[in-house]
Amino acid sequence: MSHLTDEQLIEHYFCEGANRVVVETHLRICSRCEQVYEEISNVLAVRAPEPPAREPGYGRRLWQSIHAPLRPYPTAKRRYFSWPRLVLASACLAGLAAAFLFGALWQRSRIRPSAAAISPQGKERVVLLILNDHLDRSERLLVELNHAGAEPGSLDASLQSEARQLLPDNRIYRQAVSANHDPIMSAALDHLERVLLEVANSPDKLNSADIARIEREMNTDSLLFQIRVLRARTSRQEPQVEPSQIKPFRKGSSI
Amino acid sequence: MGNSDQALIRAVLAGNKDAYGVLVERHGESMFRVAFRITENEADAQEIAQETFLRGYRSLAEFDARADFRTWIYRIAVNCALQLLKKRKCEAAVPISEEFDEEHAGIQLADGGAGPERLLLDREIEHRRHAAMEKMTEDERLAFVLRHLEGRSTEEIAAALDVTPNTAKQSVFRAVQKMRRSLAPLWVKS
Repeated sequence: MSHLTDEQLIEHYFCEGANRVVVETHLRICSRCEQVYEEISNVLAVRAPEPPAREPGYGRRLWQSIHAPLRPYPTAKRRYFSWPRLVLASACLAGLAAAFLFGALWQRSRIRPSAAAISPQGKERVVLLILNDHLDRSERLLVELNHAGAEPGSLDASLQSEARQLLPDNRIYRQAVSANHDPIMSAALDHLERVLLEVANSPDKLNSADIARIEREMNTDSLLFQIRVLRARTSRQEPQVEPSQIKPFRKGSSI
Repeated sequence: MGNSDQALIRAVLAGNKDAYGVLVERHGESMFRVAFRITENEADAQEIAQETFLRGYRSLAEFDARADFRTWIYRIAVNCALQLLKKRKCEAAVPISEEFDEEHAGIQLADGGAGPERLLLDREIEHRRHAAMEKMTEDERLAFVLRHLEGRSTEEIAAALDVTPNTAKQSVFRAVQKMRRSLAPLWVKS
């Protein structure tokens, strides 16, 4: 039979240990362990002298003996500069910054799709803007054409090149304006398209006689006047925007 | 203002120094008692009680409002006692026998008669008990007092000594063994 260790017996004396019942049973049947346990109990029965009783008012006297060097806690300083408060304030600031950032990102994400899907009014403004530019270029071409018809010599090749560039754009604008039920603008662009066709498809070097014929047959003076009127009209309808906000128009793109 | 420990602590931290006086009055005697049990010296116990409440006041801002003030100040008292024991050990120029305080030499052995032989035996027992206490390390002594005289659990002792529960248990065990070695010859004699 294995005996209990001193440690187990001391634990048992202090009412500790996991197997109290086992120890108790063992002590009943093992005289050797019982003897050791009795010895431990005897040793621990020797108590140190009890603390001397304190006279009434001991606590007050104890306080009086120590209170002089103690300084009252500075309330305000503690209130505003304690660490928990600083941590809380930092957390609030961080939360506020995060909320602001999240809000800004969320708003941006909301604006993007709406910008992609342009409203009808917005689309119309873009058309007017681009159309105004087109009318401006056409007006300059017609002015140059009139000047060329008045002077002897051949037409500058750059004028024909400009007419060839303006022609596909003009066709797209005319179709767009027709769909938008603007008969005056549509008629003017139709007239312009015929003039541009004539200039663009003429032989490489137009002389002043050819130009005079085109002016006469196609009534370019009247067209120039119409273009100026229409350009003035589109300028009035066009919103006041910064040049930097205008994106370059790509040829062939649908409006 | 409420009169609970927590309310008094709040008042102290709000600048009312005198509220701490109520806490000292409330817990002063029990701190003296534990200090005496550890040091077995009235003057030392008095010194520890004062030092305990001075340290407590200075550290009150760090006190966790959810904790129990009595447990907290008790731990400070144990630490103060531990430091004093170490200090006394360093100053151990005085022999143990001279430190022995005969005024408190009465022991509590159950005995009806108080004849001269019995008084002699009591004195011998107390002398050996005191010598055994002096032979213990500071941790053993504290663990023994807290377990045996103060009735604290192993976990409480471990927290007070800032050691693991197993280390605290071992300290108690070694202290009891030292006490046994010192007192065993008397049982054989008697």
